[in-house]
Amino acid sequence: MSALTIGTNPRARHAFGRLVVSEARIARRRPTGVAVALGVPLVLLVIFGCIPATTRPEAALGGISFFNLYVPSLLLFGLIAVGLAVLPQQLAGYRQQGVLRRMSTTPAPPSWLLAAQMTVNMALAAAGIVLLLGLGAGVFGLALPHTAGEWLIALLTLVLTAGATLGLGLCVAAVAGTPQVANALTIVLFYPMAFFSGLYVPIQEIHSTVISDLAKVLPTGAGFTALHAAFSGQSPGLRPLLVLAAWAIGASVAAVRLFRWE
Amino acid sequence: MSTSALTQTEALTPARALAVVPELDGRRAAPVIEIAHLRKAYGTIVAVEDVSFTVRAGEIFGILGRNGAGKTTTVECISGLRAADGGTISVLGRDPRRDRSELHERVGVQLQHSALPDRMKVGEAVDLYASFYERPADGRELISSLGLEAARDQYYGKLSGGQKQRLSIVLALIGRPDIAILDELTTGLDPEARRDTWRLIEGVRDRGVTIVLVTHLTEEAERLCDRVALIDHGRVTALDAPDALGRQAATGKRVRLRSAGAHGDEVLRTLPAVSAIEHHGEDVVVTGSGDLVAEVVLALDRAGLRAHDVRTETASLQDAFLALTDESDHTTTTREGER
Repeated sequence: MSALTIGTNPRARHAFGRLVVSEARIARRRPTGVAVALGVPLVLLVIFGCIPATTRPEAALGGISFFNLYVPSLLLFGLIAVGLAVLPQQLAGYRQQGVLRRMSTTPAPPSWLLAAQMTVNMALAAAGIVLLLGLGAGVFGLALPHTAGEWLIALLTLVLTAGATLGLGLCVAAVAGTPQVANALTIVLFYPMAFFSGLYVPIQEIHSTVISDLAKVLPTGAGFTALHAAFSGQSPGLRPLLVLAAWAIGASVAAVRLFRWE
Repeated sequence: MSTSALTQTEALTPARALAVVPELDGRRAAPVIEIAHLRKAYGTIVAVEDVSFTVRAGEIFGILGRNGAGKTTTVECISGLRAADGGTISVLGRDPRRDRSELHERVGVQLQHSALPDRMKVGEAVDLYASFYERPADGRELISSLGLEAARDQYYGKLSGGQKQRLSIVLALIGRPDIAILDELTTGLDPEARRDTWRLIEGVRDRGVTIVLVTHLTEEAERLCDRVALIDHGRVTALDAPDALGRQAATGKRVRLRSAGAHGDEVLRTLPAVSAIEHHGEDVVVTGSGDLVAEVVLALDRAGLRAHDVRTETASLQDAFLALTDESDHTTTTREGER
């Protein structure tokens, strides 16, 4: 409710802007989250880009290179790291220290702090994605989507995946009273999510119906399918996008229901 | 800009202080907080059973009680953070739950267990919180009047306990509130920092701000508060000026002297005027009635013992506190209020 008033009230907009700047400053001063969300995929991109074998087109992969198959997974990794690791960790910490409690007695509701955190983290993830695409295409010969339609699908997929991971991360932050609990829950969610994004092995290489069925209904599996299609000039169909949208909406609604300010 | 804010605050001070402090003009100042039969339970645990009191404009009103007596829950209900289960609360004529956002503009609250991010600097925190309010005070002036100038560029996580408390006073005042609620402000501070903080609070009142001070320290309440509500097990057990509460509790006289050993104790116990003997370190405290000093000194003299360092003690708020709160867990109470 209060988040909606940010847009209409100039003073509230000003205060929210200050909060975003403040959170960005704090993120810069404690750059672990930044390093994981931006650094890890970047390092992986450079490593795989430098191995000649991975950048050659493979008949077994449908005529694209392993590198091209892997980049969508790296794009998803930033979103998973930010949504499922960085955000819940920060929020659980703020709750435990009493930062949310301190704000709850001011005219600025603590939900603004949440919104500011999400803004900063999403900006980070977006910067990471732009960096990966630029470096991948400019230096390592990554094949980007060709048509406007493919770009649109890629963008939509990334936005919906961001919604799903942030929503899940907020659910974690909602039920975790302390950063330690948040950490434990994060690990339980993070590795399966990274796995189904194809970060460790390409999902289609596993040849297991259980795994591929799960990949169809889990957010990062659906995200990978749609992104991979957009990057290799195929149509992903509506299904992965609908799966992602369902996760994004479901997780966000659950987070709003579950969240307690103290 | 800083000069105009300064003159504005100063211009308010003498007139408002004279008009509102009850003792200064003899009339009763307008009530700013009225609580009647407040009740709040968490599940089966009743935190506040039945609390009623009125805070008047310009006073420093103390809420004194042991840990877990229901003090913090009471101020959380006043601040609109919790919904009461029963009773009525009116703050500046408003309902703290319904008119929450309006009251947050006018009531500055410093709650226990609240903090800022470790990597936020003092100056940044003050600027950020100033942006939350419609007509904020001059942050620079507040920072310097609370002696935080040198810490302006320090991280919150690196501040000392005293500096954190000062900053929390700054943040409680940054919105130019009519009422400041300060919860356990000096807990964990060393005695010197505590006295500094007390002076600061008196300075805040002189700006015309009504203060609700939550504390478990009788010395603090005695030193600062115009009136004190003693809260015990979720109920107000007494409400008056600190010295009046002390007089109420003065059921007997007390004499304190250096212990004359076990023999001395025996002599004193046989005196009809003496009702109790307590040891405090090297001292013995004798409670009783009548002409206690003379009785004690003469009895010891008759037994061939000398009475050293004889002092009479006047009843203090501490006595009221002990007399009016549950005595079942006396051992946990440190006698910090003793002089």
